[in-house]
Amino acid sequence: MSLFRQALTVVRKDLLLEWRGKGRLISVLLFGVVTLLLFSFAVGPDSTLMRAAAGGFLVLALLLSSTLGLSESFRVEQEQRAIEGLLLLPVDPIALYYGKTLSNTLFLMLLAPVLTPVALILYSVQLDLQGLAVLLGLWTLAAAGLSAPGTLYAAMTSRLQSQDVLLPLLLFPLVIPVLMGAVKSITLILTGDPMSQVSAWATLLASFAIIYSSLCGLLFPHAIEEGI
Amino acid sequence: MPDGVIVGGWSYVIAAYSVTAAGLIAYAWSLVHRRRKAELE
Amino acid sequence: MTRQFKWDSGLGLLGLLLLFVGSYIGLFVAPAERYMGETQRIMYVHVPCAWNAMLLYTLAFIFAIVSLWTHRPKWDAVTTAAVEVGIVLNALLLVQGSIWARATWGVWWDWDVRLTTSLIMVLLFAGVLALRSFVHDAGRRATWTAIATIVAFVDVPLVYFCVRWWRSLHQVQSTPDTVAPMMVVPLRINAFAILFLAIWMMAQRVRVELARRAQDQVAEPERIAPIGGSTNA
Repeated sequence: MSLFRQALTVVRKDLLLEWRGKGRLISVLLFGVVTLLLFSFAVGPDSTLMRAAAGGFLVLALLLSSTLGLSESFRVEQEQRAIEGLLLLPVDPIALYYGKTLSNTLFLMLLAPVLTPVALILYSVQLDLQGLAVLLGLWTLAAAGLSAPGTLYAAMTSRLQSQDVLLPLLLFPLVIPVLMGAVKSITLILTGDPMSQVSAWATLLASFAIIYSSLCGLLFPHAIEEGI
Repeated sequence: MPDGVIVGGWSYVIAAYSVTAAGLIAYAWSLVHRRRKAELE
Repeated sequence: MTRQFKWDSGLGLLGLLLLFVGSYIGLFVAPAERYMGETQRIMYVHVPCAWNAMLLYTLAFIFAIVSLWTHRPKWDAVTTAAVEVGIVLNALLLVQGSIWARATWGVWWDWDVRLTTSLIMVLLFAGVLALRSFVHDAGRRATWTAIATIVAFVDVPLVYFCVRWWRSLHQVQSTPDTVAPMMVVPLRINAFAILFLAIWMMAQRVRVELARRAQDQVAEPERIAPIGGSTNA
């Protein structure tokens, strides 16, 4: 089986698991909605302030939800030692990494259709269809950028007792470029982009995702060579 | 004297050097302490 | 052990001596800068700390690659030492930068490109040490430290350019057009002073690591993590 087919098999397996037990997706979605709600209390009922910060809040909700989703994605494997079985199968670790990264990216993309409307309503922001499409594109790039290093770190920390602290501690400083890029570009879409800077930020998000998915793909086999 | 010159400011200089010295000394002390502990046990 | 003791102690003492000489020149001999006045003297420790912190992180990155390649304990020890000493210098850099900001711009913090990047760097590399402290199996600890160091280091240029874009307008650099020779001399002396001190610190840290590792092997040979399954590595 080629590397690509192997990776796709991992994705299919993850999606099937996700579909059978929808608990993870639903709880992470709810978590995202709750954070969006909490952020609006942080700036008070002032609607101009909220509208200005809407992009930032939306991306922060994605970021906070992502650590939950990522750590869950490997906790599933730890249960009943599923990861051992996975590693015993003739699956290349590199395929395992890309499969997991892809399924984590898809998972984070699934948050967009719920979190975006909630944010638009809560923070009373108007957005036309074209803006919505661009926002979804940026969301996808940000999701890929978060998943690329996130999958590697989730695999490493999933065995440690302090995973819940350690994963955000490692991931948050690392993904600051993703955070900045996504916040800036999404805010520009929500508030207007007179200088057309969105494409520059989109390039940054794409480069981050590409750089880290190549680097972490190289490192992942080392990370799991002594068992996850 | 040109405009915008910062006059004085020795207190900031003293603060910066003191913090640096204190930081270096504290870390060096912790290293010596840790090394002694690790090698004695 | 005694032979090793000599070279790094000598280097450490030389560093200390140079630091006194360089700082003396910087504080009392060098002229005050035209615009910055006396506060410019902070530069004589600030810039050497910055150079050496970056140097140590770069070394840590190279050591991490070698450590991942060879799986030798000594490379893991050197990587950890470089990261840790780098963090110490980086933390000093932040405090000095903050004092500098207060003196020149009147605020304790400014979202200046280099100040912001150095704050993010401290957090990035502190994460490496945090991860390390939670892994008990020596082999895995070495591999994961190396991986985390590589991942963190690659982020540094990305963060730098990102912060620059993010700020869009930034300070005009306060480089004096004519640099008095008495300003360059203390800067160079202190750069080497901090470098020698950093090497001394790294040498001590390597000893700590190797001694601990030797102890672990003697004391707890049975603490080999079970393959897979258990959630308490």
